[in-house]
Amino acid sequence: MMNLPILDDITKILFVLILATAVLIITVRTLSSLFNVYSLQSWFIAAVAFVLYLKNGSVVLLSLAILTVASKAFLVPFVMRRIQKSMHIKRDLEFRYLTPIGSILVGTAMIFLVYWSFSKFIPTLSTEELFFPGAVIGVSLALMGMMVIFTRKRMITKILGYLTMENGVLLFSLFIAELPFIIELLIVIDLVMLIVLATVLAFGIDSSIDEFHTKLNSFTLWFKE
Amino acid sequence: MSFLIYALLNTVFIILISPLFVSLIKKVKAFSQGRQGPPLLQTYYSLSKLLKKETVYSTNTSMIMRVTPYINIVCILVASLCVPAVYIPGMAAGFGNIILFLYLLVFAKFFMALAGLDASSTFGGMGSSREMTVSAVIEPVIIIVFTALGLLLKTTNLYEMFRTSLQSSLFINPSTLLISLSLFIILIVETARIPVDNPETHLELTMIHEAMILEYSGPNLALMEMSHAVKQTVLMAVLINILIPWGLTTAPNILTVSISIIAFAVKGVILAVAVGFFESMFAKSRLFRLPNLFMLAFFFSFSTILFELLK
Repeated sequence: MMNLPILDDITKILFVLILATAVLIITVRTLSSLFNVYSLQSWFIAAVAFVLYLKNGSVVLLSLAILTVASKAFLVPFVMRRIQKSMHIKRDLEFRYLTPIGSILVGTAMIFLVYWSFSKFIPTLSTEELFFPGAVIGVSLALMGMMVIFTRKRMITKILGYLTMENGVLLFSLFIAELPFIIELLIVIDLVMLIVLATVLAFGIDSSIDEFHTKLNSFTLWFKE
Repeated sequence: MSFLIYALLNTVFIILISPLFVSLIKKVKAFSQGRQGPPLLQTYYSLSKLLKKETVYSTNTSMIMRVTPYINIVCILVASLCVPAVYIPGMAAGFGNIILFLYLLVFAKFFMALAGLDASSTFGGMGSSREMTVSAVIEPVIIIVFTALGLLLKTTNLYEMFRTSLQSSLFINPSTLLISLSLFIILIVETARIPVDNPETHLELTMIHEAMILEYSGPNLALMEMSHAVKQTVLMAVLINILIPWGLTTAPNILTVSISIIAFAVKGVILAVAVGFFESMFAKSRLFRLPNLFMLAFFFSFSTILFELLK
């Protein structure tokens, strides 16, 4: 339990870095660097959790930090790299609805929107200084992850979008007092992710979603007499 | 009077050190490609060689071609006064104003583009057209970046900015980190470095900056090269003085000034090496993909503004 002002400052620097990784996930085209960026982002979020643990002394935060590092900084990128090796694509160049430039513009607008809407009621919720930036950046990160899901065509980058979204929810939850509920939410999102991962692994991960659909459709023949 | 001393000292220092940074970046790039590269003093040799040669003008050129090198070097040197490298002077009327600084740089660029058109060679015209296209996109971004900088440090005067950043630290203003990323991108774009332009080639397909100065020879070419080098040092100095201003002094005497000169040289060398590595890591990107890079700078400066609001 420490109450040093430097801890708050470190958290703010980490926020800045998380925001920088968020925009890189939208724009980077090479898959391996995309995984590196995601891994880096998870490190930063784990660091935020650790700094909060130093500040509050809550063991939940420490275990969250350890869990994040173990799963998202090592395990998930490792598995993703394995998948990438097996599917022989190195870059994701296809975008839908929005080009990266458009995505960044929309992302910027979204952050301001989140800021604007949160500024209306957050001051009544919590008096802690870091709660507001944490909430804004967490929710924006989740929304940016959602944008990755619908602007990228390749399945593997879509998964990365899910993961980013989950990181955003995690960051948001770190600053909320009632953790158990949020953890449940996390588990649900993780479950969705797991299902997507499993399905995709089963039905050809190297396809875009349209090809995937036709591939999936061929299996309906099994159920026809 | 004291400002005159500052002006003299700063200009001489920046002129002396700029060619070193240019060769250093070339050296780092050569090393990363497994070559030995030119000696560190090569840019000084080339400049002195060019100064001794005669000037050749094409018969199609007008006076624009003749005055541009002088306008260019004067604009950039005056702009360099806004970015102290030796010590931060007291207020001097108009100097250090952000708008003045940016418009001096743009004025020089405008005349360079005119000179590119002036010789009526296709290369020059193409270079000017590309330069103006890129500028038209990057200019609003630069304005936003410097607006964010002004909002962050609560002033529109560069001297005041550096004074504030000298007193604060990364911990007080964490968004300095974001704005530095934007400034780095601006440095890369404005000095025509790799994802935007390749300074090494004279291929018609890729060149932007080199195309515009293709018609120059002798002392005029030396002036153009020099102004490019000084511009690079000036932009590097902005980044250095915002992110790592340590060593820069506000109370000039012989000791503190020499400390800040040495500190600036060391930081400049580190930044030049970083730029060299950055250039080696990327390939030249297509012209239509450039707004991507600019958008990153735009996003980082907007997030800086957001962080200011969140405080």
